[in-house]
Amino acid sequence: MAKSLLIISRQAPWAGPDAREALDIALAGGAFDLPVAMLFMDDGVLQLAPVQNATLLQQKDLTANLQALSMFGVEDLFACRFSLNERGMQATGFSVDPLEVLDDAQIAALIDRYDQVITI
Amino acid sequence: MATLHVLSHSPFTDSRLSSCLRVLGPDDGVLLCGDAAYALGTGTVAQALRTKSTGLSVYVLDEDAKARGIALPEWAQSVDYAGFVALSVHYDKVNTWL
Amino acid sequence: MKFAIALHSPAHAPSSRRALLFAKAALAEGHEIVRLFFYQDGVHSASGNVVSPQDESDTAAQWREFVSTHQLDGVVCIAAALRRGVLNVEEAERYSRPAANLPAPWELSGLGQLHDAVQAADRLICFGGP
Repeated sequence: MAKSLLIISRQAPWAGPDAREALDIALAGGAFDLPVAMLFMDDGVLQLAPVQNATLLQQKDLTANLQALSMFGVEDLFACRFSLNERGMQATGFSVDPLEVLDDAQIAALIDRYDQVITI
Repeated sequence: MATLHVLSHSPFTDSRLSSCLRVLGPDDGVLLCGDAAYALGTGTVAQALRTKSTGLSVYVLDEDAKARGIALPEWAQSVDYAGFVALSVHYDKVNTWL
Repeated sequence: MKFAIALHSPAHAPSSRRALLFAKAALAEGHEIVRLFFYQDGVHSASGNVVSPQDESDTAAQWREFVSTHQLDGVVCIAAALRRGVLNVEEAERYSRPAANLPAPWELSGLGQLHDAVQAADRLICFGGP
């Protein structure tokens, strides 16, 4: 049975290449039919904000790539409630769905469930 | 399953340690490397870490504590690289807060 | 145990040296390293162009020596490398760039190699940041 991998994405969408490079790991995993999930935590939840205009910064639109996750078979997407609250974000209306919002204990259980974790 | 969380950022300039402490499992461990070793000592961060440490195994990379002149508190264990490898084998997985 | 080791930081970062010392200790303890995968800024740890003062340690050179001596699989992520200007001869020619700076024993490949290593190994350890 394939080992499962949880990718925890903690950086804002345009803080540098981190958000994109975390996502790329997930997309590659999906392309190889591996069990991969993503958790957005800390500034990573900012990637889920409904209003974003990457082109103004001459950046690629991360949202489109996030939406591609399900096409690559990566459907287990999670967001940290605490991080959303810290940033005054609603727990609905994300730029990508479906997405499950988790509290801290649920995140601990999530990390526990996966065979490997990469936190970027 | 128990996870070894590895940190190397200073807890005074960075939020990784506080985020990590929120999502720990009951049998998890934390290994402080590099500037994360500053989490030991008597400052505010050490107090927070010490409070958590009743259920948590706290380790520090020996060279990093010594280089910084940080005294090892009784609630933390020091490991060398062989010990680091042993920890990564002992825990089911390693989660480095990159 | 089988280890997959990923590095996300450049040669001058303390975490690059730390990863190398961990990797050496893993072999010394009798474990196997399935692959070293250099990703994100870790591609700079594979640069052949790093110049270290004589009185400082040359982590990039030490990585090369370590991989060669133990005949390890040292992979650098091609996408991460290209966007950071770390190119081997082939890529430098392909993109008409003035220089190649990724020497042997490093190989350029995709994220599939990271996933392959994660599947093959018992433990994945990532190093990065300070």
